[in-house]
Amino acid sequence: MKRITIDPITRLEGHGKITIFLNDDDSVANVYFQVPELRGFEKFSEGRPAEDMPQITQRICGVCPEAHHMAATKALDDLFHVEPTSTARKLRELLYSAFYVTDHTTHFYILAAPDFVMGPDAPPAERNILGVIAKVGLELGGAVINTRKQNHWIIQTVGGRPIHPCFGLPGGVSRAINEEERAQIEEIAKQSVEFGKLSLKVFDDVVLKNKEYLDMVLSDTYTQKSYNMGLVDENNKVNFYDGKVRVVGPDGKEFCKYAPREYLEHIAERVEPWTYLKFPYLKKVGWKGFVDGKDSGVYRATPLSRLNAADGMATPLAQEAYDKMYSTLGGKPANFTLATHWARLVELLYAAERLLELSKDPEITSTDIRNIPTATPDEGVAIVEAPRGTLTHHYITDERGVIKKCNLIVGTTNNYAPLFMSIKKAAEDFIKPGVEITEGLLNRVEMAWRPYDPCLSCATHALPGQLPLEVTIYDAQGKEVKKLSQGI
Amino acid sequence: MKTLVLGWGNPILSDDGVGIKVAQEVKEKLSYPQITVAETSTAGLSLLDSIVGYDKVIIIDAVQTKEGNAGQIYRMELQNFSSTKHFSSPHQINLATALELGKMLNLAMPQEITIFAVEAKEITTFSEKCTPEVEQAIPKLVKMVMEELVG
Repeated sequence: MKRITIDPITRLEGHGKITIFLNDDDSVANVYFQVPELRGFEKFSEGRPAEDMPQITQRICGVCPEAHHMAATKALDDLFHVEPTSTARKLRELLYSAFYVTDHTTHFYILAAPDFVMGPDAPPAERNILGVIAKVGLELGGAVINTRKQNHWIIQTVGGRPIHPCFGLPGGVSRAINEEERAQIEEIAKQSVEFGKLSLKVFDDVVLKNKEYLDMVLSDTYTQKSYNMGLVDENNKVNFYDGKVRVVGPDGKEFCKYAPREYLEHIAERVEPWTYLKFPYLKKVGWKGFVDGKDSGVYRATPLSRLNAADGMATPLAQEAYDKMYSTLGGKPANFTLATHWARLVELLYAAERLLELSKDPEITSTDIRNIPTATPDEGVAIVEAPRGTLTHHYITDERGVIKKCNLIVGTTNNYAPLFMSIKKAAEDFIKPGVEITEGLLNRVEMAWRPYDPCLSCATHALPGQLPLEVTIYDAQGKEVKKLSQGI
Repeated sequence: MKTLVLGWGNPILSDDGVGIKVAQEVKEKLSYPQITVAETSTAGLSLLDSIVGYDKVIIIDAVQTKEGNAGQIYRMELQNFSSTKHFSSPHQINLATALELGKMLNLAMPQEITIFAVEAKEITTFSEKCTPEVEQAIPKLVKMVMEELVG
């Protein structure tokens, strides 16, 4: 086979690139996936006051500012050796729950639903939110917009500013809520719970009752038996805001459980010559390549992983939905990548229920919202679950709290290796010797990465639903045989 | 006519912040109650939330095209969106779908939308500064936006 060098230095022009190499018999020899990487954050944050990090890091991504804000806020608690007040903790988790409702709603209806409602072979022009609404009805479309709008109001009210909260402080939060706001939040939470139930019903009607889709969910093409990671509370139930990181093996057994400060004992990063991206893996298992299984350190951190890594959900309706999901999928852990969309809806319901619980908590309108730190800062680590995966913020400062070093592992980074593996498998299964390669390849590949809802720099500019992507296929002699693209 | 000037971009990603910088300068020069100047860093559907209820919207943003030179300025209108193929910015697909969605759901969508886009050189490295080529385009762009509003 002619040798072609994949050079990550070539500018990726703001879109993703997949390069496929074929064998002599036109079966797939290898697949490489590259995306532009955001660089220089560590250098950018050096010399800045750590207290600015909730404001700065939330600018990294336009889709999930709240996740970075929350991770940075908790990292400040750790850095300044201060615990937030009980009310502050609850307000933080309340805002975070509202955020999850908006984010999961957006992802499911804009990104995931089109594949299932319209079908994976529908023309791209129809396979989007417009097609979904045309098919399932304007009322549902209105409910999507309304749920997002109402929960964004909660984030703005509690967080102090639209989109980019100015809320998190070491030891607490910047503002309390009053009874009028609380009552409104409770009302929105009740409606969000109904919306969560409705969304699971939509999934049931459109996906589970359709044998073709259910077969696709359970198919080997979209199966990956990797380790699963997620934050759990003291009862091993899913928690987005706080807890310990639990990793469960492909066999369902707990592999490790660690506190944020221990993360470097468990996670290492693999460097590959053909990309700037680094691939996290479980240190104690080791890097064995882009393969799944118990002996490979590759792990996933997605909504499905969180449900796999936990023993259940902390709220009743979500627990019911969790039980139904696993009984349909044949037990735990579920290794079906497409089931991530289902897990996302279980989480949506949990977030809404949790929002309701917190809105009714007797302490939630208290004005005791801050413990002022008194200790000298040095080093802080915090972990939250971003919608896209486990998010870690790690700061090292001088004695004034000025950043000397920082390390972030964002949600999607955990999933680079499994994402790459899923894309590769989809390409391998779609490209067969003697069969013409059609545009349908693009969608099969997209269906493989979409469950991960990856936060890729090129994707942050596009309305979810269309990753700008270029696929180039080379034969065994190194001759380009096909080029497919979308959104470019 | 209720007008919105929306600076769009990421203020910590080098040239991706140009839209926000321009909006900030426009805001300093303007004081008409009918004109709102705002900034946003959000992606996708949240754009819809920002523009509902306005009659006219001017969006200022960075763009990367195959052939463009850093600092080059483009002006696009609503009718360019579905038919323009030579611009490689995913924003126009983004905006076009968001607008259609808004119409479908009977939201109050703007009648006039204009995008001013600046060819960016660097949008993947963290920095609060634009590259010199893009920095130089800012005063010209501010002038163009003011003319669009007043002229």
